[in-house]
Amino acid sequence: MGLKGHAAIVGTAQYKPEKYATAPRMFHLEQVADLAAQALRDAGLKASDLDGLVINGPHFHEASVFVPAMAAEYLGLRLNFAEVVDLGGCTSVGMVWRAAAAIELGLCQAVLCVIPARMAPLGPDEDPGWMARSMRFGGHSTAFGAPEAEFDLPYGHMGQNTGYAMIAQRYAAQYNYDQRAMAKIAVDQRTNALANPQAMFYGQPLTIEQVLASKMVADPLHVLEIVMPVAGGAAMIITNKEVAARARKRPAFITGFGEHLAFKSPSYAEDMLNTPIGPASQRAFAMAGLKPKDVDAAQIYDCYTITTLLTLEDAGFCGKGEGMAFVREHDLTWRGDFPMNTHGGQLSFGQSASAGGMSQVIEAVTQIAGTAGERQLGRCDSVYVSGTGGVMSEQGALILQGA
Amino acid sequence: MSNNKPMPVPTQISAPFWEGLKARRLLIQQCNACSHWNFYPRRHCPVCLEHDLAWREVDGAATLYSYTVTRIATLPDFIDEMPQKLAVVELAQGVRINTNLVGLDEGEIEIGMPLQPVFAEVDAKGNRLLRFTGVDKDASSLEALPAQDSEPLSVASEQPAVQQIDMNDGPALQALVSEAFCDWSNVVVVDQALINAFAQLSGDDYWIHTDPERARLQSPFGGTIAHGALVQVLQSRMKLALGFEISGFTTQINYGSDRLRFPAPVPAGSRIHSRARVKKVELLARGTQLTLELTTHVVGQDRPSVINDLVILYIA
Repeated sequence: MGLKGHAAIVGTAQYKPEKYATAPRMFHLEQVADLAAQALRDAGLKASDLDGLVINGPHFHEASVFVPAMAAEYLGLRLNFAEVVDLGGCTSVGMVWRAAAAIELGLCQAVLCVIPARMAPLGPDEDPGWMARSMRFGGHSTAFGAPEAEFDLPYGHMGQNTGYAMIAQRYAAQYNYDQRAMAKIAVDQRTNALANPQAMFYGQPLTIEQVLASKMVADPLHVLEIVMPVAGGAAMIITNKEVAARARKRPAFITGFGEHLAFKSPSYAEDMLNTPIGPASQRAFAMAGLKPKDVDAAQIYDCYTITTLLTLEDAGFCGKGEGMAFVREHDLTWRGDFPMNTHGGQLSFGQSASAGGMSQVIEAVTQIAGTAGERQLGRCDSVYVSGTGGVMSEQGALILQGA
Repeated sequence: MSNNKPMPVPTQISAPFWEGLKARRLLIQQCNACSHWNFYPRRHCPVCLEHDLAWREVDGAATLYSYTVTRIATLPDFIDEMPQKLAVVELAQGVRINTNLVGLDEGEIEIGMPLQPVFAEVDAKGNRLLRFTGVDKDASSLEALPAQDSEPLSVASEQPAVQQIDMNDGPALQALVSEAFCDWSNVVVVDQALINAFAQLSGDDYWIHTDPERARLQSPFGGTIAHGALVQVLQSRMKLALGFEISGFTTQINYGSDRLRFPAPVPAGSRIHSRARVKKVELLARGTQLTLELTTHVVGQDRPSVINDLVILYIA
């Protein structure tokens, strides 16, 4: 079962994360075309090579339905494969394996995976308050009949912060909690961002003390343990072996993946601390024929420090309950013995909505290609990547390998 | 309590649950086919998919599965509940429920602790939410809607002795300058009626202040908010125990403000209070000038709604 590893990511493009207030405003279709052109140039491929498209459905500005057809028409693409992915922060990881599977099935030869995440220009009759209003409930549905509208919102349960905080509190009660180790995740990643000029927090060193002195948002999570939402957007080109052979850079072959989801609110998980990344990662490693210790780097979705900690455990990099010690005992920087989120992670790179998760995939591709500049790892042939949507609700894992 | 909190809208599927709460009874569903207990209400059993669920009354005995205490409100409308104690509880039947803890100090909360239900009133129509408290608490005393009235300064609290300081006593005046704020004032409720009255008085009747229906749909705050200027002048209704009085002057002038900011909204229905510190004292040719940094906050909110560096001039 699984992929043969014949599909590869051969080109990427990513807008530098910026504050929403000052970022350029572009229509999402316009961003898709721009990111596609940049990713094709990076790959050394032509527009006519593309015959597949995977795009975000939710939050697409110019349409809420028929998004792939509208985008294909706008870009001038003829598609043999079109797909929308709706997995929140796991969307990018979900896009990669769907594209790889379509390629291995022979449906198509080159797939554009793209998520625009800059704001669109405001229409003449549009009210600038709409975004603040749309963010009011932090991704919680307010639709009549939506269980969360009826059973979460009236109690003040909404957004992501408090859900992750409750997972961290339960972890603390069941295992142990070392807030300095948690802060170290953010600090080591900041060290990585200091070697990445594209990162939002490039040039701004961070200490454990600063993390612990930052504002408490919901016990036990400090604001510096939580990603900053930024404007951005990203794209990747995934192709078959034959096209990959023409690529400018060393391709990153997709040799394993896994995906798992069973709930939206972790309150309804069988065990809140046994996260879906466990089964997803086991499948990904088994498919690639690797063990966690075999990878050269881990790009772990990090909307919160606790997400990273639980992924380290559930993906098998350390045992359950050993995450705090693992973080204390390893140097997680690009210079260290366990390079993790070598671009800074989203905590220091910035989280551009669901394109934020693509930063982790792109960093894996960049490290495998050997083009990461100052933060380039000495050896990087195999990378583990994770994606997380909702509140550890929908999770996916990838194994990417250089040939 | 804020007017703008999201409220449950029962469906045909869930109505028996909410009707049960109104009658102070906890009804949850059990599958007749496989005996699985189910929450939230559905037509079907999420274990076996049979559409054969029965409503059963349970006593609500529960344990705390996890919780968090919020330091920033999850929505401005919940500021009156700050710090919010959001929780997941597990009923004896095994189902989990997202809820709030009430009547418990932060230090009393512990994961795994036994809990009992509180049928908490949320409006005058008799609607209730299902909250939880410790088993040693008097749950029925926690059911009533929180008081919505303004509160006078607690008479029980000891008023510090008031120090008389002459307006020309430079050293004593300088000693008043402090980084520390005085105690909180009494609490004042900013309700829609007060906002409407101010709109009429000032002529600022912008919809974000005066039209609850439009504000509910279009305002980023999900409802109406008070005018910044209204919250500023309500200072007069909030009594501060500064601990000193200036003497020896013939005229006291409100000389204006060095800085006036409205950093956070005050949603209609909010309870506000204020505090102050002496920021600066200057003995000038025209008299003694005292700068008070006054901040007005929604109760429970760290970020002030008004910052006013108020300048008072005392003339001999």
